[in-house]
Amino acid sequence: MENEIIIDEIGYMAKMIDTEMTIFERMKIKKSTLKRMVIAMSIYVGVMITFLVVL
Amino acid sequence: MLELIPLVIILAFLFETMDSCAGMGFGTGLTPLLFVLGYEPLQVVPILLISEAITGFTSGFFHQEFGNVNFKIKKPLNKETKIMLKIAILGMFAIVMSVFLTYYSIKIDKSVIKTYVAILVLVMGIIATFKLRSKSSSYKPKLLTFFSALAGFNKGIGAGGYGPVVMLGQIFSGIYEKTATAIVSVSEGLVCIAGIGAFVFVPVLTNQPIEIDFYLLPSVFTGGFIAALISPYMVRVLPNKLWRIVIPVYALGIGVYVLLKVYVL
Repeated sequence: MENEIIIDEIGYMAKMIDTEMTIFERMKIKKSTLKRMVIAMSIYVGVMITFLVVL
Repeated sequence: MLELIPLVIILAFLFETMDSCAGMGFGTGLTPLLFVLGYEPLQVVPILLISEAITGFTSGFFHQEFGNVNFKIKKPLNKETKIMLKIAILGMFAIVMSVFLTYYSIKIDKSVIKTYVAILVLVMGIIATFKLRSKSSSYKPKLLTFFSALAGFNKGIGAGGYGPVVMLGQIFSGIYEKTATAIVSVSEGLVCIAGIGAFVFVPVLTNQPIEIDFYLLPSVFTGGFIAALISPYMVRVLPNKLWRIVIPVYALGIGVYVLLKVYVL
């Protein structure tokens, strides 16, 4: 019983998204996430510039 | 001058995409291919560790962002975070041991251990394929500890196959596939940091300095990083039913590939 409760806790968010959203709803990306993806790409560019200088 | 090699970028992208989506295959798949392309172990192994450390955290961050997992850094830690740490700590210990074994030249027949890993992954893949129809499973923490230790042991003896064993072990232990993928990504990132540390410090401790060649790093990093951004989104969008099929089938493919590499190629 306790293990069943735990398994509901593990992956709860992913399960909820799967059951409550359609595939098209899941395709939508939040603005804040897009912003973070842009930041990640800028970090990538920064790392590549560092490689250019250091390597 | 920074040199980007298109073939290496494409290969790194493809294997990291599968690694971030199915939790396995980056090291096991990409390493032998780069050897076939003529690169030396010291050009490949540390570079893959550095790249996997960065992409593991990147992909883990975006898995969290897309809701595939819910890690909690602040105390009290939740179950997902504890599982990730348990897998990571066992793996970190194992990878340090693996580098020590290499430097102290403890010889274990590579073809025997590769065969053992290939058969283990194949058997786990077959069991996971047969389990596809069973919908619910209860959480089995002891089984998870066993598979994490087994994967760590494999890494420790330098046999590879860490991702498939940890990933399938999580699924056998009842963890939701999408979440298991995210957990593997972050724990692999931590394991790779320990691996990099071992690569740097063990040669110093053993008085056997090595020179790491960073030539492949920009190409492997480029392919891997782009894949680490895209894959968590794919995991979110595509239904879990699909990942339940893809993961064991991909593991079977890896097992067959390792066996072919040992006995045929």
